[in-house]
Amino acid sequence: MLPRGGVRGGAGAAGAASPGRHRRAPGVRAAAAAPEGSAARPAARDELRAPPRPGAPPLPQPREPPAPCPQASPAPHPGDGLRSPGVGSRGGGDVLIPAAVCSPRSKAEAAAIEKELLEDYRFGRQQLIEIWGHACAMAVTKAFPLPSLPRKQPTVLVVCGPAQNGAIGLVCARHLRIFDYEPTIFYPKRSPDPLYRDFTTQCEKMDIPFLSYLPTEVQLINDAYNAVVDAVLGAEAEAGEGREPCAAILATLKLLRIPIVSLDVPSGWDAEAGGSGGISPDVLVSLAAPKECARRFLGRQHFVAGRFLPYDVQKKFELNPPEYPGTECVVAL
Amino acid sequence: PVSSRQAFPLPSLPRKQPTVLVVCGPAQNGAIGLVCARHLRIFDYEPTIFYPKRSPDPLYRDFTTQCEKMDIPFLSYLPTEVQLINDAYNAVVDAVLGAEAEAGEGREPCAAILATLKLLRIPIVSLDVPSGWDAEAGGSGGISPDVLVSLAAPKECARRFLGRQHFVAGRFLPYDVQKKFELNPPEYPGTECVVAL
Repeated sequence: MLPRGGVRGGAGAAGAASPGRHRRAPGVRAAAAAPEGSAARPAARDELRAPPRPGAPPLPQPREPPAPCPQASPAPHPGDGLRSPGVGSRGGGDVLIPAAVCSPRSKAEAAAIEKELLEDYRFGRQQLIEIWGHACAMAVTKAFPLPSLPRKQPTVLVVCGPAQNGAIGLVCARHLRIFDYEPTIFYPKRSPDPLYRDFTTQCEKMDIPFLSYLPTEVQLINDAYNAVVDAVLGAEAEAGEGREPCAAILATLKLLRIPIVSLDVPSGWDAEAGGSGGISPDVLVSLAAPKECARRFLGRQHFVAGRFLPYDVQKKFELNPPEYPGTECVVAL
Repeated sequence: PVSSRQAFPLPSLPRKQPTVLVVCGPAQNGAIGLVCARHLRIFDYEPTIFYPKRSPDPLYRDFTTQCEKMDIPFLSYLPTEVQLINDAYNAVVDAVLGAEAEAGEGREPCAAILATLKLLRIPIVSLDVPSGWDAEAGGSGGISPDVLVSLAAPKECARRFLGRQHFVAGRFLPYDVQKKFELNPPEYPGTECVVAL
């Protein structure tokens, strides 16, 4: 059985790696990564992260043409009361919201959708987490295709929090491994939930390294990984960053210069109000439907992973989902 | 499910509606068929399920509920007049019996189902093992599927498969499992979860 907190030993220990797959060293990359250097990092990457502006309405995305998104029907909508002030009513008043963001949902609605899927539709929690984790991995492959990665190795750091968002991160990491990326997981506060422990075991048995600590020196992370998947806190989390170890993790993530992919809610943002002074992800993957805080997302790509949602759920919650091409399970808004 | 779409892309279907009949047996193979049907629905096909012998297993009942709540019709009986099936559907997914089933077709209602499937003129997609075939020896006089989708790895009986496309669905298998069982899986393109052999 693999040691829980630590990283697996050197290349010889596991034995079963497929040829050509490099085994990662533990958290501190240090000199080993030096030859790659930071000179190779494209300067454009820094442009992608505009700091969130508290109080200002989100600007239209400058980079991508807004995807066609069916406008919400003018019928009164249960979410209207939760809309942030200044936005106006449905239908006519949505001009301030970028067309790229479809029907953002409140925390209460998101919880109601999940409850309905679990209780009425009898989806299993394991099923949902697997579907979402797989979809997140698909979004990562679209946002960061293997040939486009700046580092020599297709490394990705996946930071997992203690609750469901973290479990989705574990599944995402496993699928990234299957897709030939080299994920490394940081999962400091493991859940005792047997389902989440199973997800952890699945990752361990796939030889995905688990860091025993996250370096506080941010440059080590910048140098070692191409991107970071933020699966720390989801829509159910309370606003604010008071609790350890999340607070320390978020402090580190804020300083990163490599792209961040946030699952559902950028960790540390309030799921409804959005963040100010929090992390600035480049990519957001909304699970089922975007949350209210997605209005404040200023990164370059926003994916929705909602293909599996039954039609009746979509209708009931007026989700107005976008068109998914072919058999894709995520689509960029 | 993805392999069904690859084998029978929507634009290629002969019927006006993209109908597919999914026939589900009482055990795990049938449950896999239920999930396949649900995904086909999501992919804009129009699946209909025939699931005569429902399992009491709570997990399989959940899969059934998911399909029912997606408005996928469940047939109450399978017409014995085969032409009705030929006319109504573009293809049939055979999820009746899997590798764990005993050879032979003795048990009802599977025996009657297999008798009907043998007479079909529309293509059959078999999940893992063509129902009625012995998982190792293969079939003689059994159904002749056009498409076989092997789960994890092909079974011995796949050697006798004579249809036009054989898919393997094994991308999720951990590397250590592949090595331990010497599975020598093929390359999966991109992020695909099935590949045609």
